[in-house]
Amino acid sequence: MRKLILSVVVPSVIVAFGVCASAQTRTSTAGQPASTAGQPTAATVPPQPRVNPTAEVMAAFRKRVDEYLKLRNEITKKIPEVKETGDPNKISAREKALGQAIAAARASAKPGDVFGRDATPLFMKILADDWRTRKPADRKAVFTELPKGTHININQPYPTTLPLLTVPGNLLASLPVLPDELEYRVVDRHLLLRDRDANLTIDVLFNALPRMEK
Amino acid sequence: MRARYRLPLYLLTLTVGAACVSAPADLAAQRAAGSAQQAPAQQTQKPAPPARGPTPPPPSVVAPPEPGTTTATKGAPAPPAVTPPSEKDGVLFAVIGDTGTGTQSQFDIGKQLATARSSFPFEFVIMVGDNIYGSERPQDFSQKFEKPYQTLLDAKVPFYAALGNHDDPTQRYYKPFNMNGERYYTYTKGSARFFVLDSNYMDQKQLKWLEDQLSRSNDRWKIAYFHHPLYSSGGRHGSEIDLRSQVEPLFIKYGVDVVFAGHEHFYERIKPQKGIYYFTEGGSAKIAKGDIKKSELTAAGFDADYSFMLTELGKEAMRFQVLSRGGKPVDSGMLPLMPDPKRPSTDDRTRSQ
Repeated sequence: MRKLILSVVVPSVIVAFGVCASAQTRTSTAGQPASTAGQPTAATVPPQPRVNPTAEVMAAFRKRVDEYLKLRNEITKKIPEVKETGDPNKISAREKALGQAIAAARASAKPGDVFGRDATPLFMKILADDWRTRKPADRKAVFTELPKGTHININQPYPTTLPLLTVPGNLLASLPVLPDELEYRVVDRHLLLRDRDANLTIDVLFNALPRMEK
Repeated sequence: MRARYRLPLYLLTLTVGAACVSAPADLAAQRAAGSAQQAPAQQTQKPAPPARGPTPPPPSVVAPPEPGTTTATKGAPAPPAVTPPSEKDGVLFAVIGDTGTGTQSQFDIGKQLATARSSFPFEFVIMVGDNIYGSERPQDFSQKFEKPYQTLLDAKVPFYAALGNHDDPTQRYYKPFNMNGERYYTYTKGSARFFVLDSNYMDQKQLKWLEDQLSRSNDRWKIAYFHHPLYSSGGRHGSEIDLRSQVEPLFIKYGVDVVFAGHEHFYERIKPQKGIYYFTEGGSAKIAKGDIKKSELTAAGFDADYSFMLTELGKEAMRFQVLSRGGKPVDSGMLPLMPDPKRPSTDDRTRSQ
């Protein structure tokens, strides 16, 4: 009887335990390779740290920004960067050509494509948190330079006759860092992603800023 | 973000006339206090360390015309009443701001600058932003920059521009602005290093760059300029508190001596803040008459007509004079160099460019 237990039951228990542990490992490392070669046995695997949801969302945002840059880099191979020149024709021609090429390559772009649906609540929270720290007069001052009803949309140049609203430095410090090619701008209550050298709006988060108090 | 002051204009007249420049001892105390604590605009009184070098002569200030009145002249402006440089090897430069309108006022200031240069031979001009207003077509660069300053450009006087909120950042590629294709940059002239910032977009990368450059600077004078004023008595805009909270600690830590800004369409000299001299010169082609709301910050101000600055960085002091479009003196004075143990002496300072 004892032999039977040792030869049948014990191996069965070990096999069953191993299957469960393997399943547990796959569950806790979703998206990772399932191979456990060289890994600790199931009994010694420590619990996997939980992923910070904010970090995950920001990583996804950065990935979308990188994808934009990849596309942009392809375009700039055909429209090389302008060197310092005394001829403003060359500067404006390059800006226009770059803007048009990017807009054409992203003709189907929709609002939120780069900001991302997942990151939108986070951006709005950052803006709202910053807004709360400012006095009403300061909030109003953010908009004093721009006429009301300034129309902004994706794949359109930022109106060259209008000033670029200064993005408060402390707000910038809270927003995810962008590469040099891009910048955040605020128009009305909208948050823009603007391609600096193409003078092109590449994404808009409409009504991202809280309403102004009357 | 922006402080607003609503004091009557006549108070400015009284104060401007009586304005005086702080002695170096006061400034040293302010800087010491400033490095220990940030923020409030009030000057801090502390025992001052002994000043280095010879004692500078007492400060002088010319009372400007009464704000709200205009000294604008019809037809050709009178030649500017310029005081020649005081020292042999000083760094001479002019300061203009909010210039790019292409209007008669800009041309008038351009003409006054050219005339002033015969008595005050400045080597270069700094532009504190809003270099091209409105559209930025090629012809705009001609009408709003090249033509008004044609005489200076023909004389090979270089301009060094900062970006304002009306400027497309691609202006950094425009060679006559000498920005080397950068939104923010630095250069040296004699014993002075200039730090030119993009205050429209003060991101962490720029701040890091600024700290790195400031920490490396061994220059006798450290001058910063950019578009938005950290301190201002302007009714429309006011002080840029956000920006101040970011850059002022670096200015204090690394001993920036003088800061120039624009944005406000007038001239204002601010009482020294934490050991740093602040000027706003945003009235070189646009004017916001009566916009200076005199405050405890104001040492002198002029919002009655267009203006420009002439500046001399000497061995121990900076001398400045501000002239109106009509060529009349608006403000002038001598600001002693801050006592700073880390500052190189006049003998061992490094010279480049």
